[in-house]
Amino acid sequence: MPEGLEQSAIAERDVDLKVIDRVSNEVLETMFFTEAIATGCDHSWFSTAVTARIAFAGSHAGEFLLSVSREAARAIASGFLGLAEEETTENDCGQVILELSNILCGAVLSNRWPESRLSLATPELGGCGCANEGALHRCFTLPVGALALTICAADAAVSRG
Amino acid sequence: MAFSVLIVDDSPVMRGFIRRVMTLSGFEAGECWEASNGEEALAQLREHRVDVILTDINMPKMNGEELLRQLETDAQLRSVPALVISTDATKDRILRMISLGAEGYITKPFTPEALREELERILGEPHA
Repeated sequence: MPEGLEQSAIAERDVDLKVIDRVSNEVLETMFFTEAIATGCDHSWFSTAVTARIAFAGSHAGEFLLSVSREAARAIASGFLGLAEEETTENDCGQVILELSNILCGAVLSNRWPESRLSLATPELGGCGCANEGALHRCFTLPVGALALTICAADAAVSRG
Repeated sequence: MAFSVLIVDDSPVMRGFIRRVMTLSGFEAGECWEASNGEEALAQLREHRVDVILTDINMPKMNGEELLRQLETDAQLRSVPALVISTDATKDRILRMISLGAEGYITKPFTPEALREELERILGEPHA
């Protein structure tokens, strides 16, 4: 890639990551009563994570993946539902992580591309949150556990990085 | 005065969260009905008196856009105000929902205060 284009791609990727950091914090603090700190990747918890995926289409297309460590999923679900952690079931955790993925996906994409027209598919549980080469990916540490976001784009706009 | 509310969202945990947030914000809903899509919402509206509808957009069977269209064509339901609560913050979507008759639009994430302010604005009075 020519040097100018490479620098431009790096700059845009920085913008993408800043949007992800800002929006993720806003979502988690406002509606899920926890905070998130962007951190280096450590995917040792991925094998037991709760993962949700959402396909999106429109002026941008691709897939949004959210992986949440088990202990973080339980803490987030109990905060969202207003229940004690011991009262929170596995099903509750799954349902709340689906909702969190829906909110994060919509908020991240529409903040990054406010002029766009996008439609989001229904979130689904399952799969692995591992980032393919070229995906936009960010890991966060929570007060309890960890969380990772990945955006795999089918178009060039979000496939850098 | 307590207002009756219809919450339309395909996520049961989100419907529960909205109920809880209304209580946390000090908004006392008299009766609170729930529906998981536009079709169910229309059925609830024909059975119960509702002062305000809180609706999501992306839902199976009948989405929030179609629900607003149906409300506009129904002489009895046209006057029931609808507040859209959605993750979609794109200008295009917000303008489209307002043009279809939504009285307000809140993007997720939202605070209890933001929801209360919108409900007070739509219902026309401060709430205890």
